[in-house]
Amino acid sequence: MRNKGGALIVGALAVALTATGCNATTNDGGGGNSGEAKTQSGSISYEAADNTGPAKAVDGATKGGIVTSMYPADFEHLDPARNYVNLQQLTGNLIYRSLNGYVEDGTGKMLLVGDLATNPGTDVNKDCKVWEFKLRDGLKYEDGSAISSKDIAYGIARSFAPELNEGPHYIQQWLYPGGTYNATYKGPYEGNQMPAGIETPDDKTIKFTFADPHCDMPYAAALPTSAPVPQGKDTKGNYDLRPFSSGPYKVKTYTRDNLLELERNPNWDANTDPIRNAYPDGFKFTFGLEQQQISERLVADAPADQASFGWGDTPPAVLPRTTTPNVANRIAKGPTQYVWYLGVNNLRIKDKKIREALYYGLDRDAALKAIGGSSAGEPASTLMSPTTAGFVKFDVYNAPPTGDVNKVKEILGGTTPPPMVLAHSNTALRTAQAEAIRASLEKAGFKVTLKAIEATSYYDQVGRKNNPYDLYLHGWGSDWPTGSTIIPPIYDGREIVDEGNNNLAYFNDDSVNTEIDRIKTLPAAEQDAAWTALDKKIMQDFLPEIPAYYDATHEIYGSKLGNVFLSDAFGAIQLNKIYVKP
Amino acid sequence: MTAPASAPKSPETTDTGAYLRVSDLRVQFPTEDGVVKAVDGVSFSVERGQTLGIVGESGSGKSVTSLTIMGLHNTKRARISGEILVGGRNVVGMSEEQTRRLRGRDMSMIFQDPLSALHPYYKVGAQIAEAFKVHHPNASKSEAKKRAIDMLGRVGIPQPARRADSYPHEFSGGMRQRAMIAMALVNDPDLLIADEPTTALDVTVQAQILDLLEDLQREFNSAIIMITHDLGVVAQVADDVLVMYGGRAVEFGSVEQVMRRPQHPYTWGLLASVPSLHGDAEADLVPIKGNPPSLINLPTGCAFHPRCRYAGRNGERSFTDVPELHQVKERGHLVACHLSEADRTKFYAEDIAPSAGVAQ
Amino acid sequence: MLRFITRRVLVGVVTLIAISIIVFGLFFAVPSSPAKVMCGKNCDAASIAAVETRLGLRDPIAEQYTSFMKGIFVGRTYAEGTAFEQRCDAPCLGFSFRNNEAVTSILGRTVPVTISIVFGAAILWLLIGVSLGMISALRRGTLFDKVAIGISLTGASMQVFFFGLILLYVLVYTSGILPFPSYTPFTDNPAKWAQGLILPWITLGFLNSAIYARLSRAQMLETLSEDYVRTARAKGLPLRRVYTKHALRAAITPIVTIAGLDIGASLGGTFITETIFGLRGLGKETVEAVSFLNLPIVVATVLLAAVFIVVANLIVDVLYAVIDPRVRLS
Repeated sequence: MRNKGGALIVGALAVALTATGCNATTNDGGGGNSGEAKTQSGSISYEAADNTGPAKAVDGATKGGIVTSMYPADFEHLDPARNYVNLQQLTGNLIYRSLNGYVEDGTGKMLLVGDLATNPGTDVNKDCKVWEFKLRDGLKYEDGSAISSKDIAYGIARSFAPELNEGPHYIQQWLYPGGTYNATYKGPYEGNQMPAGIETPDDKTIKFTFADPHCDMPYAAALPTSAPVPQGKDTKGNYDLRPFSSGPYKVKTYTRDNLLELERNPNWDANTDPIRNAYPDGFKFTFGLEQQQISERLVADAPADQASFGWGDTPPAVLPRTTTPNVANRIAKGPTQYVWYLGVNNLRIKDKKIREALYYGLDRDAALKAIGGSSAGEPASTLMSPTTAGFVKFDVYNAPPTGDVNKVKEILGGTTPPPMVLAHSNTALRTAQAEAIRASLEKAGFKVTLKAIEATSYYDQVGRKNNPYDLYLHGWGSDWPTGSTIIPPIYDGREIVDEGNNNLAYFNDDSVNTEIDRIKTLPAAEQDAAWTALDKKIMQDFLPEIPAYYDATHEIYGSKLGNVFLSDAFGAIQLNKIYVKP
Repeated sequence: MTAPASAPKSPETTDTGAYLRVSDLRVQFPTEDGVVKAVDGVSFSVERGQTLGIVGESGSGKSVTSLTIMGLHNTKRARISGEILVGGRNVVGMSEEQTRRLRGRDMSMIFQDPLSALHPYYKVGAQIAEAFKVHHPNASKSEAKKRAIDMLGRVGIPQPARRADSYPHEFSGGMRQRAMIAMALVNDPDLLIADEPTTALDVTVQAQILDLLEDLQREFNSAIIMITHDLGVVAQVADDVLVMYGGRAVEFGSVEQVMRRPQHPYTWGLLASVPSLHGDAEADLVPIKGNPPSLINLPTGCAFHPRCRYAGRNGERSFTDVPELHQVKERGHLVACHLSEADRTKFYAEDIAPSAGVAQ
Repeated sequence: MLRFITRRVLVGVVTLIAISIIVFGLFFAVPSSPAKVMCGKNCDAASIAAVETRLGLRDPIAEQYTSFMKGIFVGRTYAEGTAFEQRCDAPCLGFSFRNNEAVTSILGRTVPVTISIVFGAAILWLLIGVSLGMISALRRGTLFDKVAIGISLTGASMQVFFFGLILLYVLVYTSGILPFPSYTPFTDNPAKWAQGLILPWITLGFLNSAIYARLSRAQMLETLSEDYVRTARAKGLPLRRVYTKHALRAAITPIVTIAGLDIGASLGGTFITETIFGLRGLGKETVEAVSFLNLPIVVATVLLAAVFIVVANLIVDVLYAVIDPRVRLS
């Protein structure tokens, strides 16, 4: 999924365009010190206790109050068919429910459970091709009418419309494999009401039939794609402004670029929801402040701002003021689902020895210092982020954070590596970071030239198969917290096309491709360990590119907010269990 | 800064009934570069019905003298000493409010450039009426306007009622100066100071304005000070003439005396540089060589000596002593020059008279 | 006078038409397609085509321009005949598919913010700046004058964001004397409106006061040395009347001109002030629209800014003619 947009920096015209999908944005800004290295033990739970509402109560939590979010930019889309950005999904989660969802408590024990569905989905034929979901009893929309499985099917159908193309397209692509997801079916506005492969035999059941096995369907069903949209309430393009509520809150007012106010949906029944506690009486999402102002206000903690929080990373300028005890205890920091890599173009740097030398030559500390010091993240040694389910930290090469020049010399054994071009986005922080990386590599004996690329077209340029660059910085974040949206999109060599690649290493190895296919057919619960093993194998045998650092976030909240923690699934403050202190 | 050795004596005037009497007037402006001695011990007087011409180049102190009489100098910065009696009241040391009451009522002034001296945004009639109203607070608006139209008529502006509603830029130069005069005379002042009133005008218009002033003087019986650098103008309208140089009076006398029998080499220079009103227009004009002196650093001795071809003809006094204003043989004719009267007469007759314009 | 105004209005209209053509040409000639920027990750040729059709970007520029101009007077319908048809009523300045909102309604939200900021600040800077400058000129060389010059030099050399941030730190973050600025429509609650805007007013007002104080002081000094001021004194007018009636009116004329143009230009957006205080006015809207290549908003805001400047020019011209009778002739 896409990361939260970049914050506009005071006086500067920082362009906050999120580039191509899962690639990290060219977002400037520091992050949090991902101090706590927690290990993900998250998985899918079919246990009745986990799948039954109401959500487990939070100690000391009280109902009432209004939580205020301060964020520079308005959401692009709240329409579930178009919702593909983590913050939008966290917000969307308050308004609409999908088939599945994540139960989180901030300890790293994240569980995928049924949300509207009674459990995370039944693999009917045990081949991951037919998935059936049963809806809970007593589910209602904001107007009191019952939620039907047909509305979920309709919601998916409309996500095929070319005009509503901004959301994730996993289920759509699985229903129509080969070619563009909506090449044949273009949504309910032209022709058929329903896409092929979806059946709703009754109002409580929805069944998906895929041609190929998709064992991670339970995760795909947690995306907003499966949120119910009653056909009578479909306002098409305007649905963005007022999605019809199936969750604990409904839209009260929405003034684009200014304010989104949510109020309680009285027809939401806590007993049907194992995920959300919905303690506050409402939420206010305010937009338009600069991140620096937001952070300053949150540090100041004025009475009016005490029930507020900011999803944006605290900018480096404000970080020094966040260390005093009364601020330090109001900070949510930790790794996000993003990993930043020093991408190596394998079509140009074919020798693994050179890539290994680069691995030791990279000064990860310097690269982090350039974008805000230790707060921006921590050195990475794996391809997958610490927030990934089943994550186990390993380090095949054991390079020190500041690099190891002697090891580089040892590996190169007197040979001179070819001169390289390091491409980077032309924002201030990325330029500084590229300069730091160049300096560290030159110190290790590489000859590196920098090439700045306009931020808005950065991923277009490095995504061209025959691009003329050897090295480039790029980030990747999973769409759901398993390896299946990390390893296949960026290391499956069969996906390489002429333009718009996500496999920026241009790495293609049959054994890896075969293993990807094999893991995909494993039951979801068994996949986590398999992806981790493949991560290690790729690192060990091929080292297609250099993991640089795990992205971290550093978010401040007001003193009146309780149970504030970062969501492992979304890499930002989770709202389902937050409460306002009296 | 060297101060003048001694203050010049007042001219021995007997005009006890003079409306304006200026005695030993000194005006100094302290600046960062030094003290500007704009006026340095000047005395003169003017009676009602009489016209005093003050002549001199720019920077001679003639304009500062007139502004000081009006109280229009920069009161905060100027250091003023001496006495200015206007109708018996000493203006020096008077409060701004007291002089303000005199201005425009007892004494008024017309300026060189009527276009810039009239406010561009207000109608001519309104500006005149305002001058009337400020000294006649009980007069109604319509009375003031009527008076303004009346005055415009008296200064010879045709269709005065209509023209009163025009703006200054809609008037010709001569008309504007007439309007200026109307404004100055609207309160029947006893003293009128005209500072180069014709300089900015066409020659034909100049004569009309001077005629007008003469007519009005007869009518109002006011004392007039005519400040000019143009001896031709002086010859036409003045009774007495005061010649100023470097902030001091260098010659004083009746028009006849100064024009026909000028005593000071500077006056000779002025005469030689003016085309004749009556004589030979082809005669060569002889400008005075050099530039007017700096009022901060006046030359020692006679301030005119660097430009005077006769300097040093009478020992070194020209370079060391400031000449006092003293009477020549002829009564009422004063000059401040180190040359002996005999030399002056000789030099004038030989060098100057043949080519000087007015004196013939 | 009427002829004068008519002529100026006609010139203004022609200017606006010219600007609209240039703006249209410029923005629609930019190489990067807004459709591509908008559709993000899932961008294939079909999606781009869909967005381009919605935006009407597939028509020739001349045709787009005509529909735009027509929309202003009679309204228009986007994506006509599809499920995503959007009606945009006259005066239609375009439709932002990114916001799913008519541009006029976006402007209706942002323009009052900028107007509130600018007029509040303008009243401050005119009152403080002009009176400070005038008094300094009349008391030239005094301690008051020197202090005023000092302050205005400091103010004139300070940047909006620097001064604004200092105010924020002192008055909001550390002391909490004022709440963080926010916009409440005047009609909802005048007290809250003023309270929420006081900081931008002070920031913009103070900094511009400095400029206006210097300007008015210079103008007043120049006017005081004018012959007609001397004439007014020679008439025996009291100083107060000389200053207020004769000097002020002349000194204020160029200030009116500059203030009119300043206000007109500011209405086009006070981006930095809006950004610092988190107020979504025309400036912030425009800059963000540019960064997102949200063309309908960019075109409309640039045009609106041009309208403000043209209208301000017109008002200044008319005011000038009212103040200075000499102008009426030309």
